[in-house]
Amino acid sequence: MPGPAPLIICCGNPNRGDDGAGPLVARRLTELGIKVRELSGEASALLEAFETSENVILVDAVVTGRELGAVHVWDAHSAPVVRESFRCSTHAFGVAEAIELARVLGRLPARIRIFGVEGGRFTMEEEPSPAVLEAVESVARQIQQEVIACTKHP
Amino acid sequence: MSEKASQASRSIKVDYLARVEGEPALLVKMKGDKVQDVKFKIFEPPRLFEGFMRGRHFSEVPDITARICGICPIAYQMSGVHAVEQALGVKIDPAVRTLRRLIYCGEWIESHALHAYLLHAPDFLGYLDAIQMAKDHMALVEQGLRIKKIGNHLVTVLGGREIHPISVCVGGFYKVPSKRELRALVDDLKWALEASQATVRAVAAFPFPDFEDDYEFVSLSHPDEYPFNEGRLVSNKGLDIDITEFNDHFVEQHVKHSNALQCRLRQRGSYMVGPLARFALNYDKLTPLAKESAREVGLAPPCLNPFKSITVRAIELVFACEEALRIIAEYEPPEKPRVDVKPRAGVGHGASEAPRGMLYHRYELDSHGLILDARIIPPTAQNQKRMEDDLWHFVPQLATKPENEVTWLCEQAIRNYDPCISCATHFLKLKVERE
Repeated sequence: MPGPAPLIICCGNPNRGDDGAGPLVARRLTELGIKVRELSGEASALLEAFETSENVILVDAVVTGRELGAVHVWDAHSAPVVRESFRCSTHAFGVAEAIELARVLGRLPARIRIFGVEGGRFTMEEEPSPAVLEAVESVARQIQQEVIACTKHP
Repeated sequence: MSEKASQASRSIKVDYLARVEGEPALLVKMKGDKVQDVKFKIFEPPRLFEGFMRGRHFSEVPDITARICGICPIAYQMSGVHAVEQALGVKIDPAVRTLRRLIYCGEWIESHALHAYLLHAPDFLGYLDAIQMAKDHMALVEQGLRIKKIGNHLVTVLGGREIHPISVCVGGFYKVPSKRELRALVDDLKWALEASQATVRAVAAFPFPDFEDDYEFVSLSHPDEYPFNEGRLVSNKGLDIDITEFNDHFVEQHVKHSNALQCRLRQRGSYMVGPLARFALNYDKLTPLAKESAREVGLAPPCLNPFKSITVRAIELVFACEEALRIIAEYEPPEKPRVDVKPRAGVGHGASEAPRGMLYHRYELDSHGLILDARIIPPTAQNQKRMEDDLWHFVPQLATKPENEVTWLCEQAIRNYDPCISCATHFLKLKVERE
């Protein structure tokens, strides 16, 4: 759908196994020439970032019980975010809290989608799972297609 | 209460304690109004930072340790660089020292605003979390978010980026801000100062449980300044040591129920670090408006009610804003952002005041500047035993209260300490059992 290019926010800790999914997607998109904003996932910084765009794509690692590397795509306007899914964030006040607080405060961007990469191991200095690395490439390609579609002239 | 009821046993269990950093749990066992056991459990796996620091170059200390905590990376950088600088005999430029105080102001502002407004205030106002609270107290939450944003911005300007600041280095900073860059922060900080004064008034009016305890408060103490980066380590019960003597007076112990080592004062036991300790031991060094805020709400040192730590955090917010404005007004960039540093073998100790309390680092370096040994003792590890002691003494007065209220108050008592479990597990869920 043509329109303003989305603000892409990638969250996570690259030193913490599968929690590095967000930063790895950021790295891949940067290689593809796409501008990305990396944040830790701390809620107030996310709320601040939400103020700068009406079209946001947010990438983070999640835990929902699905198979490792599964890619979830949620529209934050369609339903509340399941906060337990984002427990892998190292922050007590993180991605899910930012989205739900933005909803209450009327600060949710007009369009906001979350790409969640199912992770399984989050220990410090651990390598990301192979399935997560595959998912990273898939998510990066999906976001690239969206950016291309947005920036194409009719 | 009948005899039967007085002997009733119960346990309060919180399997996942929300609104604290990391994964803690709490178990309280009671028989009547007698507490039989308290365990503050830290389940998060040991992070072993100290282990993988070994063999790394000293220059990597600020970048690696900043990743221990997403909330207080500056504290880790500060304690780390000061310890390495002591080992290497480095003297930093006074202007660099002042800039380090300024970046610490930013971290205190963002951390204290997060805790006071978004994590702790819901306890006092009766909400499960800040999201529920925001539905009824939108202005309060918006104010907290704006103060925090100003703290974030100050750290970003000095630290070089939004996450895991990269400007701090051994010997100084890789890059220092211009006067203009700092002056651009003044209007926001002036607003944050006024908002912080209002915060003190607001949180001081919260309903506080009637509880005081006999604490040994421990913090840094500097002759002229409310402490950030340097000073002697003192307590209200006679401790007065140089930081190099830390290990002569403090000992870490492993307890079965926690992955984090518990730190104690030798021969004395638990102690408290953090805002209440700093307030008790350094009140006279607070800035004028911070003192005025304390006086206005009738709070004088020492404050022995741990639930009032939210008010002291707010007073420290006033201090941090006021101190930041003073530093910016007097700022002259250092001639050189950092001094040259040459490797040599040695041991260095560093202690600084993280938002949640004193953070100790020790490094042993070889002649090439490689780390032979690292020791990091975060404030939450130091407060762990004290949190348990608070519950031992506080819970008996809750004996007649229903389960959900006891659980709520026990969680609140732990959150008084703003625990950062991710930091503490260099090596929480709540359960109260009533038999």
